[in-house]
Amino acid sequence: MANENGILIFGELNKDNTIKPVVKELVTKARSLKEKIWNQRIMVCIVGPRINYNNIVHELGRCGADEVVIVCDNRLTEYDSNYTPELFTQIAQKYPPRIILIGATTNGKEVASYTATKLETGLTADCTNLDIGENNLLLSTRPTFGGQLTADILCRTFPQMATVQENTFKIEETDHFVNAIFNWIDIDKIEKKIEIIKAKEKINHSRDLSTSKIIIAGGKGACKDNGFALIYQLAQKMNAAVGGSREAYEHGYITKSQQIGQTGKTVTPELYIAVGISGANQHLTSIKNSGKIIAINKDRNAPIFKQADIGIVGDLFEVLPNLIEKFDIVNKEENNE
Amino acid sequence: MNIVVFIKQVPDTTDVKWTKDNNIDRTQMESIMNPVDKQAVELALNLKEQFNAKIIAITMGPNKAIEVLKEAIAMGVDDAVLLCDPKFAGSDTCATSKVLSSVIKEKFPETNLILFGQSAIDGETSQTGTSTAVRLNMPFISHVKEIIGIEENIVTVNSETETEKKTYKVNLPAVLCVNNYVLPPRIPRINGYIKAQDYNYKTYNLYELNLMDNETGVKGSPTYVSKVYKTNDTRSCELMESDYEYSVITTIKEVMKNG
Repeated sequence: MANENGILIFGELNKDNTIKPVVKELVTKARSLKEKIWNQRIMVCIVGPRINYNNIVHELGRCGADEVVIVCDNRLTEYDSNYTPELFTQIAQKYPPRIILIGATTNGKEVASYTATKLETGLTADCTNLDIGENNLLLSTRPTFGGQLTADILCRTFPQMATVQENTFKIEETDHFVNAIFNWIDIDKIEKKIEIIKAKEKINHSRDLSTSKIIIAGGKGACKDNGFALIYQLAQKMNAAVGGSREAYEHGYITKSQQIGQTGKTVTPELYIAVGISGANQHLTSIKNSGKIIAINKDRNAPIFKQADIGIVGDLFEVLPNLIEKFDIVNKEENNE
Repeated sequence: MNIVVFIKQVPDTTDVKWTKDNNIDRTQMESIMNPVDKQAVELALNLKEQFNAKIIAITMGPNKAIEVLKEAIAMGVDDAVLLCDPKFAGSDTCATSKVLSSVIKEKFPETNLILFGQSAIDGETSQTGTSTAVRLNMPFISHVKEIIGIEENIVTVNSETETEKKTYKVNLPAVLCVNNYVLPPRIPRINGYIKAQDYNYKTYNLYELNLMDNETGVKGSPTYVSKVYKTNDTRSCELMESDYEYSVITTIKEVMKNG
């Protein structure tokens, strides 16, 4: 057995130089992995500009990080394909870890493939669970084949790498001592082959799926007539975000950022309402950690009902107007009280 | 200008068949060209017209995968190559990118631009393009929506993810992963199909790509499937056909009240 030690996590930053929640989710999860394999440390590596990292270091410490390695240069004001993946890889070479965990964001996926290839090791993408399996190997669970099946995947080389979508694990805080290590580097040693000449953030008018307490989502059944109009109408009344399945995205009723499922987002609202979604496994996997789930579907055998707390067997074009009407009556009564 | 488009044959069915080593048994299933790979072919064909480019479609797979090469020829690519060897079977992304980078190094070293579809509908890992680029020491851009210019070994591309739009200038040779290309893939014409029928498809095996036995397939893949099963998390669902309003609205109101 080689002397790889520790769990290394990619500390991706937001545009405003705060730490992405998925990093804290991974650190929390790493704590439970660390308990199962002897003598491991949890290390987070951040690649970013020269700023004050005190708050971030303590935030990560409270989730259970033992060390935060900060690789910084003032030119690294945002994620840069020329440098970020290479600098993260250099840290993985300097402190060879046993396990590397990365949030499955657009940038995170790029860093993960780059690092895995440079280190000649395996990578399991979009995992829905992580555990320690036989011979103390990382056991990565992911939906496969359009989400119909779930596969447990092991890796015979080190480090063992996995990416995990945002919102898959919960953040839990603890009392913990954390150490920060700074690496001042010279990025000029890395060849620059890509130049960003224009970048523009897309404006998103829909409510954010990750912060809403209630999400109402439409599927194939709602992709006709005024299905989505009804969904938006009910959403407005209960202050909910609107999402949808892959079909809803393909039919143009929602944007990519509203898509829920393996190729979209994983969500964990307090209440999830599925409208006309039959419930392919890849969709169910992405909603299963929601608080309560209500499903509306014509077909009483639809798989979505297996994952729901309340199931309404009926035509959404009757059920939704009915709910909207009753909602108004209840609101009026409340106001009169 | 030499362009290589890597395409993949993917299963087009809900009926999944597995081999006894827990890998996908592609020989037992209906297959299509991965949809975003078709977008990559379409993007390449538009460059052919603009920059007088030569386009080669390459796929790795069993003999049956020649079907997607036929489709690419019918669409209008200039050449099509199959990477086929029993020793490639069961390759994960690490091993696959080794095979794909080898064909560029060994057979098409003069390639200027390599295109991939962003991800495949069967694996959805989005890793193969990046990984191949790293092995070839080429820069790579993901989520490429269009190419807006090529001059003096620099390509200018627009990319779009769910949160942002970016324009990049990238040194050639480069790897681009295509997603949501602005034009729909063309439908082949009848003479395209005729050309595809009679076309002499080149095939390269492990040794012709200068690879070793233990570098590809199950042997060369660090990751392996230890167990596959149908997902089985369920909740106990209260099914209702009528009089559901009270419980639904109470549930919604409770969540809205908290905090």
